[in-house]
Amino acid sequence: MLDFSILTDYMDVFLEGFKITIIASFIALICSFILGTLIAVMRIAPFKPLNWIGTVYVEFIRNIPVLVIVFFTYLAFDFGGMTAGIIGLTVYTAAFIAEAIRAGIMSVPRGQMEAARSSGLTYGQAMKSVILPQAIKIVIPPLGNQFINLVKNSSLLAVVAGGDLMYQGDLISASTFSTFDTYIFVGLFYLILTIPLSFGVGFLEKRLARSN
Amino acid sequence: MISFDKVNKFYGDFQVLKDINLTINKGEVVVVIGPSGSGKSTLLRCINHLEKITDGTLNVNGLSVADKKTDINKLRRNIGMVFQHFYLYPHKTVLENIMLAPRKVLGQSEKEAKELAMYYLDKVGISDKADAFPSQLSGGQQQRVAIARGLVMKPEIMLFDEPTSALDPEMIGEVLDVMKALAKEGMTMVVVTHEMGFAKEVADRIVFMDEGQILEEAVPAEFYENPREERARMFLSRILNH
Repeated sequence: MLDFSILTDYMDVFLEGFKITIIASFIALICSFILGTLIAVMRIAPFKPLNWIGTVYVEFIRNIPVLVIVFFTYLAFDFGGMTAGIIGLTVYTAAFIAEAIRAGIMSVPRGQMEAARSSGLTYGQAMKSVILPQAIKIVIPPLGNQFINLVKNSSLLAVVAGGDLMYQGDLISASTFSTFDTYIFVGLFYLILTIPLSFGVGFLEKRLARSN
Repeated sequence: MISFDKVNKFYGDFQVLKDINLTINKGEVVVVIGPSGSGKSTLLRCINHLEKITDGTLNVNGLSVADKKTDINKLRRNIGMVFQHFYLYPHKTVLENIMLAPRKVLGQSEKEAKELAMYYLDKVGISDKADAFPSQLSGGQQQRVAIARGLVMKPEIMLFDEPTSALDPEMIGEVLDVMKALAKEGMTMVVVTHEMGFAKEVADRIVFMDEGQILEEAVPAEFYENPREERARMFLSRILNH
């Protein structure tokens, strides 16, 4: 039987970690979305050196375990655990988001770009006003899944003392010696975050399918 | 206004355009016809640099299109283009479709761009659809919006790439009517089409292409009555007697 006294006695600690997990995931989401969009545009821009930079970034980052990246940002710079963790997550997630967005951009018919360019818009203007708004629609479902992964991956903040839910769980289990029960509660807290997100993504997917 | 001088274009080893020499004057309506794969669309798309020429000289409005120093965006402002598949922006309303380039490229105010857009929508007879999305319009209506989108930049040249080929037969007329009105106003037009009625009525000149070459250039009456080239004669007999 689960020892619920851990939950009640350490509620404020759990909630502190829960809060940090939400904040870290949210900041990393925004940043990786911006960075990922930039890299996606670099990968398809009509300028070879940019393509190479984008490709190198994606292939390099995607093929390193996220744990290694988080350790690296923590050890290489003098940030605190939370900042280093957020940067590591951002760098990692951006590579996947870039790929999702690139696929979205590629699925917009070529004629859209041609129509925009032939009316005098620059490549950048056409991207921003014509291509990206259409690509985003296609990209939302895979992005949602990336966000859920991001929330789960944020548990890696624990290894660099990032103060997140997993980290607080480590602390609680160390002081109560109820390792099993503590991590069950930690898992439940993650579910509180990820299950609604998962349903949200499913809902968006259905709505977007209808609007097309 | 537009002049091709010994223009060639290759896709890899395949030569799409062979030694093209063609001059189009201000106010002229030139209809380009020919079998599919003959290079007519490519010829048209070279004019606003959607396709790069491989060699030769192509001047539009006194600017060399292939020259790296030419500001291609500036050149394109002066050339409207209408595509076979319309390519309206599906996430924008009809009005927003037309206002985009004037706002972004010419820096017009919201109000100015809207007034101008409404003027051209009215001109193509579709002002009641200003707030609709492209997907809510028929093909003919979409193509008329696309024409308005081109006209709103007040271009000196309009290019039409098979503007009626993707339309239901009963919608072809409404699009051709808009194009005829435009021709009467003195717009310089280059039109790739299979609409022989339109070509006969409106064109100042017919350009017949086959296998990347211009085989014949003539006024419509002459071309349809008595084509010089055997290949043109064959083509005409196939499309006129079906």
